[in-house]
Amino acid sequence: MSAFAVGQELPELVKHPTTRQLVQYAGAQGDFYEIHYDQDYARSVGLPGVILHGLLKAGFLGQLVTDWLGDRGTLKSLEVSYRGIDTPGQPYTCRGKVTRVDGEEVELEIWGEDESGKRTTVGRATVNMRD
Amino acid sequence: MSAVTSVIDRLRARIGVDGEPVTAPVEAGHVKRFAAAIGDPNPRWEKEAPPTFLVALAPVALHLSEAEEYGKGWLNGGNRFEYLAPVKIGDRIAATGRIADVYEKSGSSGNMLFIIFETEYVNQSGAVVGRVRGTMIRR
Repeated sequence: MSAFAVGQELPELVKHPTTRQLVQYAGAQGDFYEIHYDQDYARSVGLPGVILHGLLKAGFLGQLVTDWLGDRGTLKSLEVSYRGIDTPGQPYTCRGKVTRVDGEEVELEIWGEDESGKRTTVGRATVNMRD
Repeated sequence: MSAVTSVIDRLRARIGVDGEPVTAPVEAGHVKRFAAAIGDPNPRWEKEAPPTFLVALAPVALHLSEAEEYGKGWLNGGNRFEYLAPVKIGDRIAATGRIADVYEKSGSSGNMLFIIFETEYVNQSGAVVGRVRGTMIRR
């Protein structure tokens, strides 16, 4: 008996990224591209200021899924497409829902929203549920 | 235009060619800093790596610096992570990167260069633990 049903929503995960967090992430990932911590540089390439790493947003969405999944199964894939920029100082909300249940395999639609509700990151994840 | 053509040609010549593998240990302190940077307090990351950690393991597995001759900045278009086996603290992982595709597109804000890369991660037992595919864009 599966505990998962199509349409089921994942508990939302709200993040409050700061410029400090971007520096922390830059160091931890080893991505020192200046658009993530140097305001002047970011503006010089046409951005409104420093922006979140796409992969930091992927990390948030990974947390959304692993928090929900717990030890009930195994994450098999995580796919994200970055559709818009996000800046520190604004909440970033991760959401998801079950889109397919096929035996042990469960597929999720996942996305991240900016403060206005615009989906700046969209993606999918697949998990394999344990017996 | 010849400089642009030549950078695309040079990148295209690398399609499907494996880069030098980069081997790195999965260190407890590194995983801890990575999870802390995401703000993910799950105690599970004291024993294994969180889902996106693979990108932090060997960030130099693929040299794309020559692409910087094109345009003025990078954009990350997307990433796909595939998981085949757990990545545990103490593992030694070899990352091998390659370019899967290179193409140019014209958009409303001018031309953009798309570089699709894939990196495969193999642990000390020879098991493929995961793959990461990504779209890097120069514009």
